[in-house]
Amino acid sequence: MNLRSLFIVTAVFISLLGNLASAQEMTGLEIMELVEENQRATSDSAFNRMQLSTCRFGIKESRITCAERPRIKSLESVGKNFGDDGKDTKSVTIVLEPAAERGVGMLSYAYDDTQRDNETWLYLSALGRVKRIASGNSDDDSEPASVFGSEFTTEDTDTGKLEEYEIRVLEETTEGGREVWKIELIPNAERARKSRYSKTINYVDKERFIVLRVEMFDQYDNEIKRLLASRVELVNGTWMARSLTMMNLVSNRLSNMAFLEIHTDIAVEDEFLTTRTLTDVAFRETELEKLRQQVD
Amino acid sequence: MERILIALSDAFAQAPNRVLRYKQFVLTGLIVISAMMVWGIYTRTELDMTTDSFLDQEDPSMMALNEYRRQFGSDDSVFLVYRAKDGDVFSRESLLAIQQLTDDLRYWQQLDPADYPESINGIALDFDELNHVRRVQSITNIRYQENEGDTLLSNRLVPQQIPQSAEELAAIKARAMEQEDYLLAFYSADARYAAVMIQTDFGAQPIANYEPAVNAADIVLDDSFVDFDAFSDADSFDLEFDESAEIQEVSFESVDMLGYTNFHIITKALYEKYSDQFEFFPVGNPPMMEFMMDTLNQMMTLGIVMVLIFTLLLYILFRSFSAVLWPMVTIAASMAWTWGITVWLGVTISQMISLTVLLVFAVGIADCVHVMSAYFSYRRQGEDHYDALSHSYGKTGLAIMVTTVTTMAGVLALTTSDLLPIQVFGLMSAFGVVMAFFFTIVLLPILLDVWHPGAPEAQDASLADRIGKRWNELYIGKKAGLAVVYFIAVYALLGLWVGTYITVISLMTYVVVNWQLQILSYVPYIVARRPWVVLGLFGTLFVVCAYGMSLIRIDSNMTELTKEGSSIRVAYETVDENMAGAMSMVIMVDTHTTDGLYNPRLMQAIDELQSRIESRYADQVTRTNSLANIVKDTYQIMSDDDPAYYRVPEDEQMISQLLYLFNSANPEDRRALVSDDYSRSHISLNIYNAGSYQYQLFFDEISVEIDEVFAGLEQEFPELEVYLTGSMALLMRMADEVANSQYSSFIFAIGVISVIMIVTLGSLQGGLMAMIPNVIPALLGFGLMGLLGIALDTDTLLIAPLIIGIAVDDTIHFMTHYRVELIRTGSISESLITTIRDVGQAVMFTTMVLGLGFALLSFSDYLGMAKMGFFGSAAIFVALLCDLFLIPAMIMVFKPTFGVKGADTRITFMEKLA
Repeated sequence: MNLRSLFIVTAVFISLLGNLASAQEMTGLEIMELVEENQRATSDSAFNRMQLSTCRFGIKESRITCAERPRIKSLESVGKNFGDDGKDTKSVTIVLEPAAERGVGMLSYAYDDTQRDNETWLYLSALGRVKRIASGNSDDDSEPASVFGSEFTTEDTDTGKLEEYEIRVLEETTEGGREVWKIELIPNAERARKSRYSKTINYVDKERFIVLRVEMFDQYDNEIKRLLASRVELVNGTWMARSLTMMNLVSNRLSNMAFLEIHTDIAVEDEFLTTRTLTDVAFRETELEKLRQQVD
Repeated sequence: MERILIALSDAFAQAPNRVLRYKQFVLTGLIVISAMMVWGIYTRTELDMTTDSFLDQEDPSMMALNEYRRQFGSDDSVFLVYRAKDGDVFSRESLLAIQQLTDDLRYWQQLDPADYPESINGIALDFDELNHVRRVQSITNIRYQENEGDTLLSNRLVPQQIPQSAEELAAIKARAMEQEDYLLAFYSADARYAAVMIQTDFGAQPIANYEPAVNAADIVLDDSFVDFDAFSDADSFDLEFDESAEIQEVSFESVDMLGYTNFHIITKALYEKYSDQFEFFPVGNPPMMEFMMDTLNQMMTLGIVMVLIFTLLLYILFRSFSAVLWPMVTIAASMAWTWGITVWLGVTISQMISLTVLLVFAVGIADCVHVMSAYFSYRRQGEDHYDALSHSYGKTGLAIMVTTVTTMAGVLALTTSDLLPIQVFGLMSAFGVVMAFFFTIVLLPILLDVWHPGAPEAQDASLADRIGKRWNELYIGKKAGLAVVYFIAVYALLGLWVGTYITVISLMTYVVVNWQLQILSYVPYIVARRPWVVLGLFGTLFVVCAYGMSLIRIDSNMTELTKEGSSIRVAYETVDENMAGAMSMVIMVDTHTTDGLYNPRLMQAIDELQSRIESRYADQVTRTNSLANIVKDTYQIMSDDDPAYYRVPEDEQMISQLLYLFNSANPEDRRALVSDDYSRSHISLNIYNAGSYQYQLFFDEISVEIDEVFAGLEQEFPELEVYLTGSMALLMRMADEVANSQYSSFIFAIGVISVIMIVTLGSLQGGLMAMIPNVIPALLGFGLMGLLGIALDTDTLLIAPLIIGIAVDDTIHFMTHYRVELIRTGSISESLITTIRDVGQAVMFTTMVLGLGFALLSFSDYLGMAKMGFFGSAAIFVALLCDLFLIPAMIMVFKPTFGVKGADTRITFMEKLA
């Protein structure tokens, strides 16, 4: 049993305990750590196929729906966890569709250590060049980058660095019929420099330890973005939301990230999670073929 | 007609006694209603001082600007230019200081308020205002792109750790000078000046009670968000979409002067900490509005001094404190009702209410002075209180009514404007003028009944009378000595300009107080001796002014509205001279097609438009920036920095990926330039400060260029829209709008006044003749400005009709009275003499009070106000000269009978003089 599985079992166990007795003893930080653990599990040694759809949204008969034909990006991603507790993640994401962006790739390293800033590289197929986006200096005030031009930013998708937040359980309530904790995360001065949010409020499913809803607030304490998680399924022993919808409440645009295929426990070469994958087309295709074979 | 006029005069004569009969009732009623009005003013007044409020939200330019803001956020920013006192903005000390300032502005939450003053200019510092800062860019945090092996780096121009060595600093400077996109935007070519760009969220912040529609109860995600088959072979799934879904449109919080001012004050506190190292020149809306706010405060002071001057002049001229108190009460009541009824009707008022106050004040004073002047003169002739009251209303009532109607007509013409606050202003002012008339008829007689000066021979002579008496007993030498001491003191204490102003007031008052009767009785003889000379002089004045008026240009230049050497003007001039222009403008490009901006031909058209503008309008535009610059830059850098690649690629996929890269590296920059679906973008232009007239020409030319450059793209983008917008374009559109509405208002007012004069004076000949003295004051104001090359800005233009309305009131009094006299006496000569004698005093008094009062406004730092004060005052005095000299001369020469049959047209002054 690897470390990850141990964590999941622990999480499920604790959550069961929580339901039987009282989970009040868990602090907000502990809950969020379990949530992130869960999140990392879905990307560890994983080969996923995702679709990002972005559109301007409206309301029709009490339903939130796209008001225009959504722009669709089809992506393949490979990820693996590293570090002592498996809290650092590395992943490569490559664009399959649309044709104009086919072959564009993104490599990102997310570190749990607050002293190390996350890193991202981009590869442009039309030019055959790699560019590092976030610079390595930790003193830098890098802005959160948009994930493939969607409403998601790296700030929304990256895990780790929970110590940089003041975390507090606000209340216990229900969301979409599920029992949840409402947990507030306020960035400390250091984190605030790099964040677009003054705080976030996370609705965490008490039983499954996944976030069902996140509200993001600006400096005036107005909610500017909202994440809704849906289609929660148990995938290879891990609960995950297979449809994530990020709504920008000011521009009224949303992006939906749908996990069409999820394959975990895949053998991923460490070498694959380097810039070589981005630039060396032959290498990339060979490795990807290996991964596809494992899936089929 | 004659009978109607006589009947009306009689009705006005009986009005005071009727009112007095129900004195208690009327007074109680007025007090109760006034109290209600005051209560309404305090509880219900909604003051909207935003520039946005001036345009209808449905107006095309407003919609364009809102569209822009929804997409790209606010275009309001502070361009904080600074001059390094050590002469080099790239010196270590300069860099350290500006790095610190940049951090202060970005991470202001970490500042200690104790390090800053509590208030500046009496405005308390509020650090929370800095929430409006959206982005701060300076030399110390801008980045440049660089190739390093296979990796493209986006490095800081100035490293976080500012180097010590001179060589390293020189290298930074050299590199900076190579960055063409930053040169002039962030530092001048000689490195003496640089700038901090503070972007704000003004005008793009959702309204306070904005509630996202998705917050409503029972709102859920559409099923299609979850309805995909997990392990199907299908490559993708499609989210359903429904074009009829209702998209919420965000409304934005409007910004007023105070909001900008508070923001600028705290910003100023932050940067002034570095004033040892730098001299600062802030430009943009916030500093401009702070200046305007200062001007408004100064206006308040000037207003108070103006009321003091009114008070003092009224007291000296009438020598009775009741003559001061009662007009003030009457005017206050008029104002309270006007303001009160407006807010009770739920109408939002703008800063233009100050102009309404000014107008009601002027009209109220004129009304009261005419009545009181007549009343006092009847009392001096020995009539008792009630007779004098009745006679004075009989004499002036009709004329007051006519002036009320004409002034009303003038301001009502403003309601044809497209700008809502101007419409409100027109209606409110018209109402205020009627209120002033109403209270003069209803309230003033009661007030004069409550307290009025005794008979002239009574012992209770007022202080003014006693001082005057003692002065007159002095020897001539002593008088002269005292006068010299007085004038020296005035000049020494108040300086040249204010000193001259006070001296003029003193001399005029002295002359009028001592010799008004002599002047008035001598005037007809002067005119009678040489009526043709008088006509000739005024004719020349008319021609010269008409010529001057043909030279006038209507132009509003933001900085030329401020005095030479004022901080704001210096700031704009500095920025125009050393950096990219202080003004900015945007050209919105909306393809209405998703990914439309990846199209190489469209991108080339944008590039072409920019180079055309930069080369053809180099005297107006300093630099342009757009997505095309980004594409060209990135293309070159990604192609081993080969300058041959500094161009828009031919290939859609290439553009798409270059922009993809840009988006990933600088998402904020990208979002500020192009919409998320790449359907719309904008070209920003830095332009030099100029007047609205020049801008308007420039805008028209740019529109033509746009049409030419984008002509070939209609096939590919049938819905393509390319248009100018930005706060700047909006302001210019407002200026244009005001100029037009004022022009039509002016023409309309002249037409209406002519008709009223023709009706009142009972003859076409008389009416048209009366228009000549009415037009001359207006012509003089505009003509002088034309001759002196002073531009007529929108603010002056807005107030001009009011001043002219006030100036012609006296003429109307004069003509109306003359006509009534002509009907009564049947003799031109006799009517003229009595008219000059009876109305002359009131006309002189109102001219002095209003003319000198308005002249005070010339001292305003805001030239829009100063110009109107000076030229308005000149117009008022010229109107007096017209009344006293031109009208009598015309009557003597043309002998109009105003439809009075069998009038004696013989001129008999000379005989009398002989």
